[in-house]
Amino acid sequence: MVGSKHPWKAWLYLSPAIILLLIFTVWPIINTVRMAFLEGYNSMAVAGGAKFEIGISNFTNVIKYKGFINCLTNTMLLCVLTVPISTILALVISVCLNAIKPLRRMLQTIFFLPYVTNSIAIGMVFAAMFNMVGNNFGRPNEILITAGIINNIIEFFGGEAINWINVGSTKLANMTVMVIYIVWNALPFKILVLLGGLQSVNKQYYDAAKVDGTSRFRTFTRITVPLLSPMITYVVITGFIGGFKEYSSIVGIFGEKMGPPGTNQSTNLNTMVGFIYDNLTNQQGRASAAALILFGIIFVVTMLNLHISKKNTHY
Amino acid sequence: MKRRIVSLLLALALLALPLLAITSCDVLTGNAGTEPGENNNGGNGGNKNPAVNDGKIHITFYHTMGESLRAVLDKYIVEFNKLYPNIVIDHKQVGGYDDVRDQIQTEITVGDQPHIAYCYPDHVALYNIAYAVQTLDEYINSQEVVTRADGSTEILGLTQEQIDNFIDGYYNEGKAYGDGKMYTMPMSKSTEVFYYNKTFFEQHNLSVPKTWDELEALCATIKAIDPDSIPLGYDSEANWFITMCEQYQSPYTSATGEHFLFDNQTNRDFVARFRRWYELGYVTTQELSGGYTSALFTKAPADTGNSYMCIGSSAGANHQIPKNDDGTYKFEVGIASIPQVNANAPKAISQGPSLCVFKKRNAEEVKASWLFVKFLTTNLDFQAEFGMASGYIPVLENVTDNAVYAEELANANGYEGLPLLATKVALEQANAYYTSPAFNGSSAARDQVGQLMQFCMADPTCSNAAGIKAAFENAIYECKYQIGE
Amino acid sequence: MTDQKFLVFEKNIEREKSRQRVMRILVQVFLYLFLIIMALIIVFPFYFMLISSVKELAEYRLPQQTLWPNKIVFHNYVEAFHTANLGTLFSNTLYVGLVSTALSLVITVITAFAFARLEFKGKNAMFAALLATMMIPGELFTITNYQTVSDFLGFRTLGRELGSGDLIAMGDWKNTFTVLIVPFLVSVFYIYLLRQNFLQIPNELYLAAKVDGTSDIKYLWKVMIPLALPTLISITILKMMGAWNSYMWPQLVANDEAHRLITNGLRNAFTTTSGDVNIPVQMAAVAIVSAPLFLVFIFLRKYIMKGVSRSGIKG
Repeated sequence: MVGSKHPWKAWLYLSPAIILLLIFTVWPIINTVRMAFLEGYNSMAVAGGAKFEIGISNFTNVIKYKGFINCLTNTMLLCVLTVPISTILALVISVCLNAIKPLRRMLQTIFFLPYVTNSIAIGMVFAAMFNMVGNNFGRPNEILITAGIINNIIEFFGGEAINWINVGSTKLANMTVMVIYIVWNALPFKILVLLGGLQSVNKQYYDAAKVDGTSRFRTFTRITVPLLSPMITYVVITGFIGGFKEYSSIVGIFGEKMGPPGTNQSTNLNTMVGFIYDNLTNQQGRASAAALILFGIIFVVTMLNLHISKKNTHY
Repeated sequence: MKRRIVSLLLALALLALPLLAITSCDVLTGNAGTEPGENNNGGNGGNKNPAVNDGKIHITFYHTMGESLRAVLDKYIVEFNKLYPNIVIDHKQVGGYDDVRDQIQTEITVGDQPHIAYCYPDHVALYNIAYAVQTLDEYINSQEVVTRADGSTEILGLTQEQIDNFIDGYYNEGKAYGDGKMYTMPMSKSTEVFYYNKTFFEQHNLSVPKTWDELEALCATIKAIDPDSIPLGYDSEANWFITMCEQYQSPYTSATGEHFLFDNQTNRDFVARFRRWYELGYVTTQELSGGYTSALFTKAPADTGNSYMCIGSSAGANHQIPKNDDGTYKFEVGIASIPQVNANAPKAISQGPSLCVFKKRNAEEVKASWLFVKFLTTNLDFQAEFGMASGYIPVLENVTDNAVYAEELANANGYEGLPLLATKVALEQANAYYTSPAFNGSSAARDQVGQLMQFCMADPTCSNAAGIKAAFENAIYECKYQIGE
Repeated sequence: MTDQKFLVFEKNIEREKSRQRVMRILVQVFLYLFLIIMALIIVFPFYFMLISSVKELAEYRLPQQTLWPNKIVFHNYVEAFHTANLGTLFSNTLYVGLVSTALSLVITVITAFAFARLEFKGKNAMFAALLATMMIPGELFTITNYQTVSDFLGFRTLGRELGSGDLIAMGDWKNTFTVLIVPFLVSVFYIYLLRQNFLQIPNELYLAAKVDGTSDIKYLWKVMIPLALPTLISITILKMMGAWNSYMWPQLVANDEAHRLITNGLRNAFTTTSGDVNIPVQMAAVAIVSAPLFLVFIFLRKYIMKGVSRSGIKG
């Protein structure tokens, strides 16, 4: 490495980044911790000259709150459902893509399409696909104008129309829509990474397997998956981090109410990030506590993932 | 290829430089939008706190007025300045009511709030957490004589005649903060009125319901005539709940002591009743139908899912006009007071903006703010003209002394004249107005009862009394959590 | 071995071979079938968006959704453009995207250069600290940054004390373009990416340039930037996409008409997605908003996919 004679030069180059980071990253970290441990901190009261005790009541308040528990459960549920589903699906698609020659590039491009979208905008498209128009669904005086394209398809295959996202829809139906949308949205990135990984895997392993007469499924579980494990770890970790920060996809489908009409804080689909935003302007102490809790969860899950993958990586 | 991309990047960077200059300019002047979508709002708009060295008192005023209303305001600012040339009014449309609230909230935390603002009682309760709102009693009661530029004088306070001239319900709203002090002055008001399809009503010999019982029977009749309709749309779930509390004289909230009192048998009963209505397909609301119910009301009766009655804001009468694209009307609209529990003791909500004055270190600025607030709220011609331009109800009893206003009011009809027809109905029920107490947590209560109505109507768990009881308890729990209990 | 026997053996081999061939074809058919079905599912929302956007409202409200419009109309696009005021939103977003990308590139390059080529005390510790901030969810910063931009470095309070309108304006970033640009100029991840790229360039080149008396900036411009160009282009595209997709921060701090960005404008113009709303117009708006992203994707597919596979984040 070059020993520069002018260390000030390095600092000069670094100064814009350092200044901006100090203001917009370092100070927020300090301030968030401060606000989280000042009981009941909120900026209006500060302006009114209020003083706050140091303590953990922001954390206990938030953790005890039903609405927060709902946010936490929703977030966890979405993570636990979408990450495995999208990873497995992406893995299968990647392996299939890797096994074909003609049309591969075209299909690869198609599978990447959902990435180049705006999650709010396309959320609106999904909402429209699942939306029913009418009144009093499932009740004696039902007025049904159109059941929506997805329900039309279900009916075509002999199923019954389901109230997915409208008034009176069940949480199970809402969650299903969210899972479908999030998986759809998460596939491109995972396919891209996994396919890239597959293409760099040494062909020799497969040839050896072929000579041994190993079955395809065995080849997949015994060779492909282990060889891909660093990539799989990577997509799982980024998937979990993204999953814990889920917010805008729900806004896309349900709007800022975070649920179908007629739901409340304990029954809607709000998430951790949504909770932080709800409290950001009026209850900064609670918002900070929630943000630190979110950070803690992401930290633990990431460490856990790394730990597990270290045990199972086969190189 | 690479070279070309380098030059492309270079060009991009060069392009960014002037843009950067604009951005930094943006910082320095704080002028909202020198670039795309210039939106300089009226007169001295955007730039608050200009150099204050001209010996005049500069007053900033935040509101939600659109272009046509700003024109009215500007006209009367000129009038005001004839009397007080020393007071400069810088006014600005911040956006909607929530935007005004959010912006002022932020500004209070940095000590840079405006002098005067449009407000709702809940906003004032919020600002009061920081003790930022000036109480007006000392100004209202002041006998100090002020000399105007034309040599005439007035007292700083309000005369008894001026106070009496305010519609009582509106004036008293300023005192709804639990300590008997006056925090706001009424600016322009609205209420809820009952819009109905007059053509349809006449055709089927239906009469306008005076009570909720009559309304229920009417819904059944309409449903029998047109099963594909939802007879009634009620825009605001929260207003519905609060108004019912008021009509039944059952507790809702209190500014003092225990705040949240709405979990009681009477309230649970009327909610259960409205759930039945919803299940029978009699009624829908804004949230449940996914938009203002005026959209259903103004549909052609032949359309599936249309409404024949709508309870909504008198200030939204413009949206209740069932106009076709070709300029003809689908039907004639009638307007009446909303149904009551007891037709002899009517109750209707009082809404619409009031004006609040913020505390400032310089007493002269506060005094000047008060003078302007007094001018706007007591000037008959301004109130009349503003009422005609906005569809809001003037706050003065003698507004009909304004000839133009009186004439327009007399000519109001069920087509294009709907806003004034709504005002007419609203003025006739001047004794019916109520306001709910405002306190830290009153907006949470409002949000919660609105949500509670929706939840009880839509959620399967509320089909029995236990479910409704649980929903009410949950709403109380949420209110208490919001205020930090 | 008799000829007879040999023939049988050869026949068996033939049979085995053709059996394998049939198997292989069958597997291929299955693979293609699976991939094409998946591709159709992936593409379906886009297809639905496009056909719905050219339907009459009356046709959209038919009980049975049509898979191809009976009558194609384009007035929904005109209406969408006006309802959502898309013109202003486009130019705002483009402006914010361009300026923030350009500035961010400059900062990223000089910072990465300092970390890759210059020697100074505490370099490694600082780089590690920088990377550590990537673990923290952005929402944690938002709470404080929201306060920061209302009174930047206390200028506003100071200005009020001194009665200086200019100072107040400098401290009040709400509803300016500045607030949409400056807080996000430093991206630790891009710095990391570019530093890795710079490190791959042999140090000898730098030493030789030093001997020749070439300045740092010239060397950076002539040698390093051209060599790291693919990374820079990826960063540019991702940053632009970031502006296009950002929702929450603009919603908080610059949601006035003059500064509103495209995603916020779209969501605000169509607050509800369920119920009896004018879905054809909504879909037209979504199509207009999505179009630029698709154009960029078509022309710069390679860079996007390369950048994305390494970033794992959207924008």
